[in-house]
Amino acid sequence: MLFLMFRIGKDRYVLDVEQIEQVLPLMAAKALPGAPPGVVGVINYRGDPVPLIDLSALATGEPSALVMSTRIILVRYPAPGEGEHRLALCAERVIDTIQRDPAAFAATGVEAGTPAWLGPVAADADGFVQWVRAPALLSEEIRAILFRPAGADA
Amino acid sequence: MSPGADDELPPPAAAETSSSVGAELSHRDAAHQAAASRLLDRALPPGYREEWARYFAEVPDEEAAAEASEVAERRILVFRLADEWLALPAGLVQEITEPRPRHTLPHRRDQLVLGVVNIRGELLVEISFAALIGLGEAEGEAESRITAFPRLVVLGHDRRRVAFRVDEVHGLHQHAARDVLALPATIGKAASSFATSMIAWQGRMLGRLDGELVLDAVDRGIA
Repeated sequence: MLFLMFRIGKDRYVLDVEQIEQVLPLMAAKALPGAPPGVVGVINYRGDPVPLIDLSALATGEPSALVMSTRIILVRYPAPGEGEHRLALCAERVIDTIQRDPAAFAATGVEAGTPAWLGPVAADADGFVQWVRAPALLSEEIRAILFRPAGADA
Repeated sequence: MSPGADDELPPPAAAETSSSVGAELSHRDAAHQAAASRLLDRALPPGYREEWARYFAEVPDEEAAAEASEVAERRILVFRLADEWLALPAGLVQEITEPRPRHTLPHRRDQLVLGVVNIRGELLVEISFAALIGLGEAEGEAESRITAFPRLVVLGHDRRRVAFRVDEVHGLHQHAARDVLALPATIGKAASSFATSMIAWQGRMLGRLDGELVLDAVDRGIA
C-alpha cells in the first residue's frame, strides 16, 4: 500500500494515497475570519471552493513554513449522505511516498488522549511514521459549517 | 515491510552536515540529498502562491475543449476506393496495414463479408467497403501514375472493429473548416447515404463519410 509522507514539526506522518486526488503547490487562500483553528481558508480549485487546513497549525499551533516543499494535498472527503467533498491539507515536506503494509501499523496505545485523526504507527530505521486519517480531521460541527449545502444558510 | 520503506530523505540537520560527516552515506548520495533538500527548502519566490492560486482557480475551458474536439473532428483518413477518393474520421481508424491473406467463411457468400483476416493474432471480419457503400467498379482507366499500394484499414472502436481493403491510402489529413462543402443536392453517387459533406483536398473533392453510420451499416450487414 502506497502512502504519501509529510512532516508535522519533526515527525513523519503518512496519508493513504487512495484518498488523495492531487498534490498541489502552495497557493494563496482566501482567509476565513472566525474559522476554527487549523482552517487557513478556502482555495479556489477549478472554480470550486475547497477548505484548506494547515496540518502543522492544527497539530502544533505553528503554521507550516513557507517553503517549496510545503505543499497542498487535495484529498477526497466522504460526504455524509451522498457524494464526496474535497479537502485541501497543507503540510511540510511533502516530497516522498513510502510503500508499507497496512498490517505494519500498530496502535500507539495512547489513542484515547490524542485527536481522532491520528492513527496507528509503523516503525522504520528513522523512528515512527504515523497514519493520518483524513476523514477524521474535521469534527462534525466544522464539517457542517464547511460543507453546508448551497442555500442552506439563507 | 517492503524494501521501498527506507528510501527517504535524512532529517535536514543530517543533510546540512553531511559534507563533513558523510561516514555511512556515500558522498554522492549525501551531496544529492543535500542539494535536493536545499532546493526544496528554499523560500517561496514572491508571487508564487498568488500565481498558483490564479492557475488553479481557472475553470477548465469548455470552449477550448469544444474547439479541440472540433479539430479532432476535422482530422480524416484519406483513401481511394476504385476511382473515388473518400475520407473517414481519423479517430475511428485503428490501423493501416498491408493486405494479408483472407480466410473465407463457408456459407457466407454475400457481397459484404469477404472473410476473416488475422491482424496480429486477432481475427477481424474483412468486409468489402465498395459493397457496403454501394460503390461500383472503377469506370475509367486507372490513373497512370506511381503505382498505388493497396492497404488494409482497420476501422472501429473497442470490440467493434472491421477491416477492409482500399486501393490506396493517402494518409491522415486535417482539413480547414472552410474546405467543407455541403453535399450537392443532385449527387449521383450511392455513397451519399454515408457521406455527410464534401471536402476540398488537393484540387479534388473528397466524400467525407460518417464513421458511425458506416459502423452501424457494417453491424447490420454482418449480423
